Amino acid sequence: MSAKKLRVVHYLNQFFGQIGGEEKADAKFSVKEGPVGPGVFLQKLLGEDGTIVATIICGDNYFSANLDRASEEALKLIEPFKPDVMFAGPAFAAGRYGLSCGQICKTAGAKLGIPAVTGMYQENPGVEIYRKDCYIVQTTNSAAKMTEALTRMVKVARNITSPVKNSRVILGDQIGRPSEDEYFPRDVLRNEYTEKTAACRGIDMLLAKIKGQPFVSELVMPKFELIPPPPPVKDMKSCEVALVSDGGLCPKGNPHKMSGRGNKVWCTYETPELFPEKGPLPEYDVVHTGYFPKEVLANPYRIVPVDILREMEREGIIGKLHPTYFCTSGNVTPNVVCQNMGEGIAAEIKNRQIGAVILTST
Amino acid sequence: MNLQIESIDIRELKQGAKTSVCDHVLTVNEKELEEVLLKGNRCLKGVDIHLVYPGDSIRIVNLMDVVQPRCKIDVQDADFPGFIGKMRTAGHGRTRSLRGVAVLVANPYTKRHYSAFLDMDGKVAELSKYSRMRNVVVIPHMADDVDERDFEDAVKVAGLKAAVYLAQAADGHPVDEIEHFNLHLPTLPHDNNLPRVACYYQLYTPQHDHNAVSDKCFYGTDVRNLLPTVIHPNEVLDGGVTGHQTIRSLDTYTIQNHGVIKELYRRHGRDLIFCGVVCGVANMEPIQRQRKAMMASNLIANVLGADGVMTVKAHGGMPHVDAGLVAEECEKLGVKSVVSVQPLVSQGSLADTAIFSSNLLDAVVVIGVPIERIKFTFKPERILGGSPDTKIFTPDPFIQVASDSVIDTEEFLIAGVHDQTCGESITVREY
Repeated sequence: MSAKKLRVVHYLNQFFGQIGGEEKADAKFSVKEGPVGPGVFLQKLLGEDGTIVATIICGDNYFSANLDRASEEALKLIEPFKPDVMFAGPAFAAGRYGLSCGQICKTAGAKLGIPAVTGMYQENPGVEIYRKDCYIVQTTNSAAKMTEALTRMVKVARNITSPVKNSRVILGDQIGRPSEDEYFPRDVLRNEYTEKTAACRGIDMLLAKIKGQPFVSELVMPKFELIPPPPPVKDMKSCEVALVSDGGLCPKGNPHKMSGRGNKVWCTYETPELFPEKGPLPEYDVVHTGYFPKEVLANPYRIVPVDILREMEREGIIGKLHPTYFCTSGNVTPNVVCQNMGEGIAAEIKNRQIGAVILTST
Repeated sequence: MNLQIESIDIRELKQGAKTSVCDHVLTVNEKELEEVLLKGNRCLKGVDIHLVYPGDSIRIVNLMDVVQPRCKIDVQDADFPGFIGKMRTAGHGRTRSLRGVAVLVANPYTKRHYSAFLDMDGKVAELSKYSRMRNVVVIPHMADDVDERDFEDAVKVAGLKAAVYLAQAADGHPVDEIEHFNLHLPTLPHDNNLPRVACYYQLYTPQHDHNAVSDKCFYGTDVRNLLPTVIHPNEVLDGGVTGHQTIRSLDTYTIQNHGVIKELYRRHGRDLIFCGVVCGVANMEPIQRQRKAMMASNLIANVLGADGVMTVKAHGGMPHVDAGLVAEECEKLGVKSVVSVQPLVSQGSLADTAIFSSNLLDAVVVIGVPIERIKFTFKPERILGGSPDTKIFTPDPFIQVASDSVIDTEEFLIAGVHDQTCGESITVREY
C-alpha cells in the first residue's frame, strides 16, 4: 500500500454497526471514532498500512428511503475525517444495505476523489446499479464469509492505492483484472501491454485458423438483433415524411450540447426556422468529429435534404414534409446508446403519427 | 524485389560544424540543415531546428509527422519517390537507416482539431518510443500568402528531407545490422505445406480530410479515389508510403517499420509464405465500399492466391467497416481472415465497441483503445512547435494549453504510443 499510512472511513448499517436489528432500521446517522464490528477485523487486515479513523453507521431503512439525501448527509460526516479510502460493508445479499454501500461509495468516490470499496453477493441489486461507480468485490450470500470478503476488499484497496505501477496496464494503478482481484467488472476498457506485438498475435491467430486449430479472438463479435425493414409505404402521396439525421447539423452554438464523439443526446429543430424558405439561411454548426464538415456547411441540404422534400411536397410526390427535423450526432457512440436514442426518436415519431422517415447519415 | 536495410545505431546527437556520423555520434550542422530545407521551398520563410534528448524538460506540440532518418545508397534522388525524390518504384536496393534517432516535424500554424504532441520526460516518456530517442525537431515557418494546405505539404516535405539529410551524413560509418527484405512474388511456391498469407493495408481514410482536401501519402499523391491494388511490401517499408498530415496512431516512422509487413517477412518461409500486400482506402459511401471490398478480396484470393489475410486499418472508426467488409468478402472466397481493430470508446464491454458484426469474422486482434483518457502532471521548461498558449486537445469542454502543468487528454494524441500497423505490444482488456 501507499508509503503513507492511509486514513480509512468505514460505513456499516445498524446491524453491523452494533446499534440493533431490524427494529433499529430507521436509525439516523451516527459516527464512532475507530473501528466497529467487522471494522475490528478490517483494521487487523490493514495493519500498519491504514487506520480506520471513523465508522459511519446508519439504519437500512433511513438510508435506502432516500439515497441521495442520505449520501449527502453521510458525505458531511465523512469529509472532516479527510479519508484516503472509503470502505463500506460488505453487504452480502442484503438489498437495502447493498444500495446504501453502493451509494455511499459512489458519492465518496465522486465528491472526495478517493477510491471506494465495498462487497456484495452477485444477486444484490446494488451490484448492477453501482459496479461502474466503485469497486464491489464478490462475496457469498452469507455474512459467515466475512473474513474472505474483507480480505478481498483490502486486496483491492491495496492495489488501487499502491504507488507501485502495474507494469501490465499502460496507465494507472496496480488493480488486477476483475477475475484476478475478484470484483465485478466496472465496464472500463484499459490498454494492457502484451508480450507479443499485435501483428504477431494476429498472425498466430491466422495460422491457427487456417490450420483449423483452436484460437482465442481478442474480441467476440456482438450478435446484433436483425430488424426487418418495415413494409413499403402504400401511398406516398398522402404520407407525412420526417427527416432524421445523425450528421450533427444544428443551429450555430449547438443549443442542445450534443457531443461530436460518443454523443448521447438527440434533439429536434423546426425546419421553417432552421431552413427558412425565404431569405438567407442561418449559421450552422456540425457537431461530429467523424468527418470534415466543409461540404455540409457549404450546403446544409446535403445532409438534411429539406429542399428536395419541399419540392416533392409541392409536386405532390409526398403528402407532407413534417416540420420538425430530428437531429443527433452519430460518431463512435456505443450501440446500446444508439438503440436508446433510436427508441426515443421512434416513440416521438409514432406519437406524432408520422407516416415515414428518411434517415440520412454521414 | 530485394531491399537491404542497413541500420546504424545512433548513441549520441550533437551540434557541430559538419553534419556527420562518427563512432555512433550524429553531429548536426543546424545551419546547413536549415538551408537544405529552405532551398526551393517557397512556402517556408524559415525553419527552426532543435536537438532534444530523453529526460529534457521539453514538450513538442503541433506534431505533424515523425520520420526515421533513411536514405538510399548508391542511387541519387531516390528517397521518398514522388514526395521529394524522382518517381521510381520504392523498395529495392540498399537503404541506410539510423536507429535511436527520429525527425519530429511540427506545424505551428495548424488549425486541425486534433494535434499530436510529445514530452521528452515525465509520464509521456514512459509511454512513447520517441521519448526514448534522441530527436531532431524541425519547425518550419510559413511564408506570406501561403495556403494552409500547401504549407502542410511543405512541412511534410521538410520532415522527409531532414530525414534523408541526416541518414546521408552516416556515409562510411560501420553498419550495426543488415536486414534483407527479399520477396520475389512471381515465383513464390504454391504447393508446399506453408499457407500463403497476405496483408490488406488501408492506406488512408478521407473522412477527416482537412478543408476537404486529402493528404498525400502514396508516391506523392493522395489516394482518395484509389481502387484496391497490389503493391510489393517493400514499397511500404522503403518510402513509397508516408504518414498523413496528422498523427493519430500513425506516422511515417511507423509505416517505415510496418508492423504486419515486418512480421510476415519474419515468418516468411518458416511459418508461412508472404504472398503480398493489397492496399486500399476507406470509403464514405456504401456502393463504393462494396465495389472496393469486392475488388480487394478478389485480388487477395484470385490474384495473390492467399490462404489467409490480416487487415490493417487507418485512423478513425468508419475504416473498420471497410476492413471488416474486405475480410468478410475474403472469407466468402475461402480466404481465412484476421481483422485488427481499435475500440473507439473506453467504456462498456469489448463487444460493445465493435462497429461491424459478421459470423465469418471470428478472429479479431485488438490493438489498443487509442482514446484511453490520460491525465498527468508535467510542466515542461520549454515548449517547441508552438507557444505556451497552444491548445492541447481534451475531450471535456475546457481550454487546455501546452504550458499547463496537468494535461488531460487521450493517448492517440501522444506520438509514439499506439500503432495502427500493429507494431506495438498492446491490447485491451475489460476492467
